[in-house]
Amino acid sequence: MKRILIANRGEIAVRIIKTAKLMNIETVVIKTAAEPNAMYLAMADVVFDDTDDLSDIPAFLDIEKLIEIALKTEADSVHPGYGFLAENAYFAQKCVDNKLTFIGPSPDAIYKMGNKTIARKLALKNDIPMAMGSKGNVTSEEQALMVANQIGYPIIIKAASGGGGRGMRIAWHDEELPKMFNLASNEAAKAFNDPNVFIEKYIANPKHIEFQILADQHGNVIHLGERECSIQRKHQKLLEEAPSSALSEELRKEMGEVAVRIASAVGYYSAGTVEFLLDSAGKFYFMEMNTRIQVEHPVTEEITGIDLIEQQIRVASGEKLQLKQEDIQLNGWAIECRINAEDVQAGFAPAPGAIDKLIFPTGENIRVDSGIEQGSTIASNFDSMVAKLIVTGTDRQDALINCKKALGKVWIKGIKTTLPFFRMLVREPQFISGQFTTAFVEKEMEKFYFSKEEDEQIAAWLATKLFVDEQIADQDRNVDFEQGKRINPWILNKRLKQF
Amino acid sequence: MDINGRYFKSYLERQERLKDQSNAENAKKQHSKGKLTAHERIDLLFDNDSFEEIDAYVTPENQKYSFGKIKKSYGDGVIAGHGKVNGRLVFAYAQDFTVMGGSLGVVHAEKIAKIQEMALKMGAPIIGLIDSGGARIQEGIASLAGYATIFHNNIQSSGVIPQLSVIMGPAAGGAVYSPVLTDFTFMTNHTSYMFVTGPNVVKEVLNEEVSSDELGGAEVHARKSGVANMIYEDEENTILGLKKFLSYLPSNNVENPPVVIEEHQKPLTIDSLRDIVPDDPNKPYDVKEVIDQIVDCNSFFEVSEHYAANLVVGFARLNGHTIGIIANQPKVLAGVLDINSSMKGARFIRFCDAFNIPILTLEDVPGFLPGMDQEHMGIIKHGAKMLFAYSEATVPKITVILRKSYGGAYIVMNSKNLGGDFNFAWPTAEIAVMGPDGAVAILYRKELAEAEDPDALKKDLVRKYRDDVANPFIADERGYIDEVIDPATTRKKLITAFEALQNKWTKTPSRKHGNIPL
Amino acid sequence: MPKSLLQRVSKLYANTSGKNKYAFSLPIEDKIKVGRTAFDIKLKEDDKLGTYILWKNRKYPVEVISQKNNKFEILFNGVSYTYTIETPISMKRLKFLSRKKGASDIETISAPMPGKIVDILVQENAEVRKGEAVLILEAMKMQNEIQSLVDGKIVSIRVRPNDNVMKDELLIEIKKS
Repeated sequence: MKRILIANRGEIAVRIIKTAKLMNIETVVIKTAAEPNAMYLAMADVVFDDTDDLSDIPAFLDIEKLIEIALKTEADSVHPGYGFLAENAYFAQKCVDNKLTFIGPSPDAIYKMGNKTIARKLALKNDIPMAMGSKGNVTSEEQALMVANQIGYPIIIKAASGGGGRGMRIAWHDEELPKMFNLASNEAAKAFNDPNVFIEKYIANPKHIEFQILADQHGNVIHLGERECSIQRKHQKLLEEAPSSALSEELRKEMGEVAVRIASAVGYYSAGTVEFLLDSAGKFYFMEMNTRIQVEHPVTEEITGIDLIEQQIRVASGEKLQLKQEDIQLNGWAIECRINAEDVQAGFAPAPGAIDKLIFPTGENIRVDSGIEQGSTIASNFDSMVAKLIVTGTDRQDALINCKKALGKVWIKGIKTTLPFFRMLVREPQFISGQFTTAFVEKEMEKFYFSKEEDEQIAAWLATKLFVDEQIADQDRNVDFEQGKRINPWILNKRLKQF
Repeated sequence: MDINGRYFKSYLERQERLKDQSNAENAKKQHSKGKLTAHERIDLLFDNDSFEEIDAYVTPENQKYSFGKIKKSYGDGVIAGHGKVNGRLVFAYAQDFTVMGGSLGVVHAEKIAKIQEMALKMGAPIIGLIDSGGARIQEGIASLAGYATIFHNNIQSSGVIPQLSVIMGPAAGGAVYSPVLTDFTFMTNHTSYMFVTGPNVVKEVLNEEVSSDELGGAEVHARKSGVANMIYEDEENTILGLKKFLSYLPSNNVENPPVVIEEHQKPLTIDSLRDIVPDDPNKPYDVKEVIDQIVDCNSFFEVSEHYAANLVVGFARLNGHTIGIIANQPKVLAGVLDINSSMKGARFIRFCDAFNIPILTLEDVPGFLPGMDQEHMGIIKHGAKMLFAYSEATVPKITVILRKSYGGAYIVMNSKNLGGDFNFAWPTAEIAVMGPDGAVAILYRKELAEAEDPDALKKDLVRKYRDDVANPFIADERGYIDEVIDPATTRKKLITAFEALQNKWTKTPSRKHGNIPL
Repeated sequence: MPKSLLQRVSKLYANTSGKNKYAFSLPIEDKIKVGRTAFDIKLKEDDKLGTYILWKNRKYPVEVISQKNNKFEILFNGVSYTYTIETPISMKRLKFLSRKKGASDIETISAPMPGKIVDILVQENAEVRKGEAVLILEAMKMQNEIQSLVDGKIVSIRVRPNDNVMKDELLIEIKKS
């Protein structure tokens, strides 16, 4: 492998370039009209200029075009990153067809795991614990009502080809089911071009635990431990940690083996993630497998010391895994905060804009993955990520202390971000205790942002001061009325004659 | 004269009685309604101790045919006079609601008329602070005649001196016409309202229950009718706004507007101007950001902000000199021109022209709003108002085409051949008879219908259309645009251009007045 | 010398939407009283950090998000606060108006973020319940359900499907019932 086309942007493009550099592999990136000054462009070896394309659909979603770019720039492989086409089996197949190495799993594995109905069948066959649900897709309100009553409320409606929380709706009783069914189906159709949905038992207040899988093309499958992703809002992850305080060594072993089993069943290779829900009784249910590198992969890297992008590249080039399950040691604790350009006080609404100042703390236990620099603009075309702040410690308590300190030192100006949310979160006793579920943020957190009692007064002082300053400026403004009367005789003469 | 003598004594007594009239009790009544007294308003408006009142001691007429009670009072419910606002002579009258509800009697009207005539003679701005129950019923026809005189004076002064009205309480019936005859109307939210017929009459005639605020409150007039140009949440801010507004205007139609030289001048080249207009022609942006970046720091004063928001108009300063700005607002209705925005624009342009204020047009307009509704309501004649106003205006006129500039709307928005002095375009400009999609659909209807892949063909044609027709360079090469400019240099270009046009003079044919399509 | 508002009053209030008010005597000093002690406060600026507030020996990022007449939105340490600056007279007026009218009975829904209207789920004159989704706004590839914050009746719908909207653009007006 000599040259990788990165079919992605932002933080993950930067992340891939960093590893590729270490491995002496060249990278090709795409310059789009939406962000022609993006940070990742400056780091890559080859930049393909696509700024002429003004269409709504970014190049990162245009399969034909990506293949064309790869061939034109003489790339021999394609890394899809996450999002966009990362879990598109057709894209992976197209790469294979054009003799491009797809840095990810096989098209077949993507297809099987991407289609939740097939994935569930596969899981059932392999004795993977699962929440009950509909057999196949649910196509009408009537059928949805029937299935829902069979498995019992609450139920969750999910897009058959979805992910990332889109096309998901929960219904608690018959009355709201038809509305939720239609919303989910419409959203699925718009987001994934596939209106198909299925229904599952909804497990209220579980923990979201996922296992990092690493597998090669020679049948070796291992797991790199779990990630705790229960801090989420509307199914969007906000903070992840590794490991999870909810798992005992035995449970870790048991869940890890199940994760490896489902990956093996689909003939998986590359890095992947098996997601579980873990209920308060310690019972876990397989949810889905993500056949890509995850946003939150750094926390696993931090506690295992393994570069997951490097492993992806090695596996893709056919190398055998050098690591055995028993080599995997989990050391210390890692926490990742997704600092997004969002207005926490307005329901986490995206708040794009230009970043005037961006200063991150540095240190032994701090890692910042970002595709944004001071002066950059968070465009509304793409996601709202500013940076991932990854903080490590010897144990959870230590990591939390470091995290709190680091959050206090981040300095961002120009946009609203989720920073105040994390500053609040790390002070929440329940979060600190580790006893929280996926419902914690939405149901139990009373305040979504951290502010000291006197903060409102300080800002009030500033507002009043600015008001006073403006009044004084208005008062002192030197309005020169006389100059308006000194008119050039040429024009004055004509102006007077006019009347 | 002996200060303790008889004459002096009665002089002082009268003064005492006048003071007593504006006693604490009356003030409290007014305050309890969330309003200031007429004296407090005058005090807030004028520079320290500069206000000189006239006719303070007039009393209402004793009429033979009067009906009901008339309270004897000095001043007859209105304060009139002159003083300095930011050091400049300004005339004003303030109706006093605590005296017979500020109702307009004969003497009251005569006082207003007198101050109006003085302002016109002196060529100085006049401000009316209105807080009145309407015509004084007790005085009958005489008070109606009083209104007529005031309106006549308003009309005579129109276009000669700036006339501003501030509604700070009720203005009902005939009283509403004086404010709309003046140049700009300010209103205070929640405590002022204007209507021709009040809620009681509406209830009687139409049997509709409606509150004063719903019928003619500040919000209604700012958003729906367009009668109120500026609204504020309280009286202090209303008067502060009024004073700021005055600083943009000349005293009369011979003078030029005042000049404000700020200590810290903005740089001439502003790189961030390049980032505002999105490449995607269908993406909205806020044209006020463009305005703010071009003009002197914080100098943009928007007029009629909430009415027909698809067209932004207002005053600003460029290198210290007042200019009037007319800008399409892509953020609202894609910046399309419709009936309301045409009327709003036309009236603003005519004010600028009357008072020697140069006009800057920032253009990004997809065209006129299509549809039955607009056509039936007469968009043809209302759109023509804007056309008329632009073409008629003899002040310096500069246009910058930011993005879209299509069809009739291109012509209307101060195009070169309509009399634009300088017409600039940003590289993002698209100038053509119609937008790419429409043009391609008409010119290649057959080809598109027969194409194997119509979408791909359309995309191709649209691109070709943009390259060959709808771009500023073609217009530039043919002279319909004076120059395609780098957005970052816009401020510099405009300052230089307006400077060059400073002594512009065009002779207009002799006529009584043109016949604008009203 | 023109007389300003400031010479007429001895103090100003910063009034929050959350019913708190903070009084500041004029002229404004670089001090804030917390409890009984006054602490120094300074507004500063440098190239590296931009403008910031120095408070109890720590630096906090601060910026003005919007300022119009007497309305201010300040972002302090990442958190936004809104105020209106009032004089003692206008405070009285506010009290009077709130007694007289209560809150306005028209609730407006405006776009929380820039985006595209995908679907409108209600019609004019329709009754809506608090929490009911009224339209779907697509922004940053997410379909966001915009919900009614009150029980009431739809008075007007200001947008159509496929409209692009800016942040804070008025979408729907609801009359509270």
